[in-house]
Amino acid sequence: MTTATHDAPVARSAEEERLIAIRKRETRQRWQWRLTGYIVVLGLWSLVSRVVGENLIPSPLRIIETFPDLIESGRFFSSYAATLTRIAVGFGLSFVFGIVLGILTQNKWIDGFFKDATTISLVSPALIWALIGLVIWGFEPQGWIFAIFMTTFAIVTVNVAEGIRALPKDLIDMSRAFGVSTRRRQREVVIPFLAPFIFTALRFGFSVGWKVTVLTEVFSANEGIGFEMRIASQLFRMDEFFTWALSFFVFTLILEKLVLQRYENKFFRWRTEVSA
Amino acid sequence: MTTLVTKAPVSETGWRRVLGSPKTARLLFPVAVLAVWYFIYYTIDSRIFPTPQDVLGFMWEEVTLTSGVRYSSVAENLYVQFGVSLMRLTIGFVVAMILGTIIGLAMGISKRADAFFHDWVMAVLAMPALVWALFLGLALGFGDLGPIIAVIAAGLPFVIINVREGVRNTPRELFDMARAFDVPQNKITRHVLLPSLMPFFFAALRYAYAIGWKGLVITEVFASDRGMGWTIKFWYDAHRAKGVIGYALFFIIFAMALEKLVFDPLAEKAFRWRPQVDALEMAEGDFGAVTQEGFLLQESQVEEAVPIESMEVESKDG
Repeated sequence: MTTATHDAPVARSAEEERLIAIRKRETRQRWQWRLTGYIVVLGLWSLVSRVVGENLIPSPLRIIETFPDLIESGRFFSSYAATLTRIAVGFGLSFVFGIVLGILTQNKWIDGFFKDATTISLVSPALIWALIGLVIWGFEPQGWIFAIFMTTFAIVTVNVAEGIRALPKDLIDMSRAFGVSTRRRQREVVIPFLAPFIFTALRFGFSVGWKVTVLTEVFSANEGIGFEMRIASQLFRMDEFFTWALSFFVFTLILEKLVLQRYENKFFRWRTEVSA
Repeated sequence: MTTLVTKAPVSETGWRRVLGSPKTARLLFPVAVLAVWYFIYYTIDSRIFPTPQDVLGFMWEEVTLTSGVRYSSVAENLYVQFGVSLMRLTIGFVVAMILGTIIGLAMGISKRADAFFHDWVMAVLAMPALVWALFLGLALGFGDLGPIIAVIAAGLPFVIINVREGVRNTPRELFDMARAFDVPQNKITRHVLLPSLMPFFFAALRYAYAIGWKGLVITEVFASDRGMGWTIKFWYDAHRAKGVIGYALFFIIFAMALEKLVFDPLAEKAFRWRPQVDALEMAEGDFGAVTQEGFLLQESQVEEAVPIESMEVESKDG
């Protein structure tokens, strides 16, 4: 494979240029269609809001206009702080527990013990955990921690367990054969291999976690995004309501692109080294 | 450390083996839950926290219709409420499957369609059911239409992502070969495209149903005057913990029964053509596919996976 590249450097560059041209054209086309998608959806949205009335479905423009108002009112950042604290506490706990449990499920006994727990957590709606937590603990933090924990821990567990199942057995056997210590084996073989699965768990768990958090806030909070959304919908301020909903969407997008992906690249540097 | 248990000494007694088997562990789980429940019961400072007997008694009354609670003139007991929810779920689910398959196929086949829909599928996926619930309640009132749309909105992106992923994962060599041997298009569709699409389609089915159910009950709390979601909220508003926990258990029983009685057997059927893959494993694996929240991440991971594979190939060559 490698010898072929040495044979004809000139032919390769021509081929490469052709490929680059094709890729460029494809990228341009993709952006064109993406843009068309935006125009069509936003156009449809404006049209619908024109037909049913701005009060019920505010147009995209109106939502953008409402955004600075919310920031000015001062509630914006305090709500975000409240909601993010809840997510950090609740999901942080379930993330740690989920990873530990995922690793422990290598043991058949523990796997059997928690099998039904993970299935129940995956298939049952967040609503029941939110309501159980609230009816037992009221407005105390245990209520929403319980709800976030019960809906997200299994996602982490399943992903970590999946990663462990896919571990490269030969690498582990080899490190055993060469007498590498358990700790070093975990750190240099197991954990780097598990990293992508843990990232997946983090991402998906967070996206489920924030939905649950907002749901608990609707029932049992006097601040936070969920609370603000409930107030906005009760006062029939749909522009504010949609701004809250969309702002969090934008927030997660930024988090995803800027923070998570950067860390992920850092984590996976070893892989590009391998390919080089 | 963990291998210690599986590599237990040969001279163990039968009693020990029974205790150490995963099945016993599974049976021990409910016992542990009950223990925790009683622990909370005796330590919590709450007058409404029920014992397991309270909850079981409540559930029995609901099932046998002896509790004397009539929820409303339209949907008066557990069975009618459940029927209402199930009907909404089924209608929304069917619509989501049909629409999602069409859009997913288009996105898998054509790059243009993919670019067109991609960001908006992600946007719908990221919206919490709560947003739909509050909005639909205001927009459409307390009818059946609101909850049905909520089911569609919750399930549709999952169907689209899975079907699209399935189309992308069809083995290209098989298509090329079929074309080279002049196999007619409808035969290609039936023998190549559909079987390789099947696991993904099945995952779509499973998740659309589960997610649709989750979205539905939340919507029923805010935008309906009947259904299972409304009923559990009824007990919450009445401040009866046994009612909330009892209905939560009904939810869990329903979801578990669906998994064990419908989806697991279906999974076996869907995967019969390639028996070497464990059906459940595959479904769980697809959970991973869904968890990546779509295409961007999926693609980045695929790129990362490539060097490793090529490395293996090279090492084999060498």
